[in-house]
Amino acid sequence: MTMTRLLRLLTTAAALLLFALPAQAQAADVDIITPHITDAHEIEIPWPTWPTMHKVVHLPRVTTFMLPGTRIEVDMSPTKHVVWMLIAALTICGLLIFAANATNRQTRTVGHAKGFAGGIEAMVLYIRNEVIIPNVGHHGNGFVPFLLTLFFFILFCNLWGIFPWGSTATGNIAVTATLALMTFFVVEVAGIRAQGIGYLGTIFYWNKDLNIVLRVMLFLILSPIELLGKFTKPFALTIRLFANMTAGHIVVLALIGMIFSFKSIASGAPFLMAVAINMLELFVAFLQAFIFTLLSSVFIGQIREAHH
Amino acid sequence: MRRTLATLSLSFASAMSLLAQEEHAASAESANLLDPKVGLMFWTLIIFVFLLVVLSKFAYKPLLAAVEAREAALEKALGDAKRDRDAAALLLAEQQKALAEARAEMQKALNDGRAAAETLRAEMLEKVKAEGADMLDRTRREMQAEKEKAVAELRREAVDLAISGASKVIGRNLDSATDRALVESFLSGLDAPKGAR
Repeated sequence: MTMTRLLRLLTTAAALLLFALPAQAQAADVDIITPHITDAHEIEIPWPTWPTMHKVVHLPRVTTFMLPGTRIEVDMSPTKHVVWMLIAALTICGLLIFAANATNRQTRTVGHAKGFAGGIEAMVLYIRNEVIIPNVGHHGNGFVPFLLTLFFFILFCNLWGIFPWGSTATGNIAVTATLALMTFFVVEVAGIRAQGIGYLGTIFYWNKDLNIVLRVMLFLILSPIELLGKFTKPFALTIRLFANMTAGHIVVLALIGMIFSFKSIASGAPFLMAVAINMLELFVAFLQAFIFTLLSSVFIGQIREAHH
Repeated sequence: MRRTLATLSLSFASAMSLLAQEEHAASAESANLLDPKVGLMFWTLIIFVFLLVVLSKFAYKPLLAAVEAREAALEKALGDAKRDRDAAALLLAEQQKALAEARAEMQKALNDGRAAAETLRAEMLEKVKAEGADMLDRTRREMQAEKEKAVAELRREAVDLAISGASKVIGRNLDSATDRALVESFLSGLDAPKGAR
């Protein structure tokens, strides 16, 4: 009973708050979701203009060109997601280099990292010692920079997507596909380096324990599956990250849209739900970065010790 | 409770209508969410590789170097502590051994002393006993000698008395050596049965 009362109280409070805001989404067919989750040739920056609180900055356009020998058109114009990837990259550089220097200095002076540097160090060490090294296996230190960069890049792209004027670059399939393709190449090169000619065994199924008829049969059946398996892994990585980030934003935006379309005391319900889903998004930002890194580590570890 | 339910059902209905609107808008605009743009892929690659290079050089290397230095220092401290503890244990064992040795030595000394005292006591007792016996013996011998002397004296006196008595009786001096020998042999004869005593 107290729960119901609490819910009603919160609903009322939220509704009162919302009524104070000017209703902006008056137009009948305003799509607030698609522009938010897709790429664009302009960005919105914080600007003190009431009530939109942002200013649209148009990004320069570059003439497109065709990839040599193909019919693929390439548009190298810096888009909204490029800008937010750059912002994420610069944020990571700033924070991590600062933390690394602080760690180095504090290790020399007091013997261990403190405060913010200690937090970053704990994060880096957790990813390295609990995620990368155990999954990649022995001599996995060479993969640590790549996988750590993957983790921080995805994490900060996700986090900047939750930031009010921000945009989620990891909610763009081109970005996640590129990250997954890089992982794919790292995995395959790791396999070739670790197994040499035995790497072919990860594609062509040739089991010497079976008699020749069965062997050929299984070779014909399983080899395409093995080959397909190589590509499903990066494909799954691509779709998982893209879909998680996009879906989360669609849900949040749908709930925010409901606040304005209700225009009554009932707006409190989507308001509370939007807050809750945003909290969940914060968690998902970390979770998806973690999962991408974990799975990449697992794939690298698998191919390095695959002995068919 | 009823009002909450009403609120929720209302929000659900509105959501459905809004979603329908969204679908309509999306199909109209044909948002190509699943179409990767090659330009953006290149940008992603460039930014990621730049980030990888910069972070490897300026973040991970110093960070991991610091961590490894700390780990090494910790390892060293642990090793030192272990060595110190081993040394301390060794020292303790040595000291305990020395203590035990000292205690054993003391016990031995005590035992030796006790034994020596015992021997000394026994020796002294023996000596005193021997001395006492000696003294007794000497005294006895002296007494014997005295006694013999006294007996000899007495005998001589008796001889003298007998001779003087006999001289008185026979009226002449019986002071010849022959007489004396006679009396003496008589007394010896007297003495003989008594000498068996």
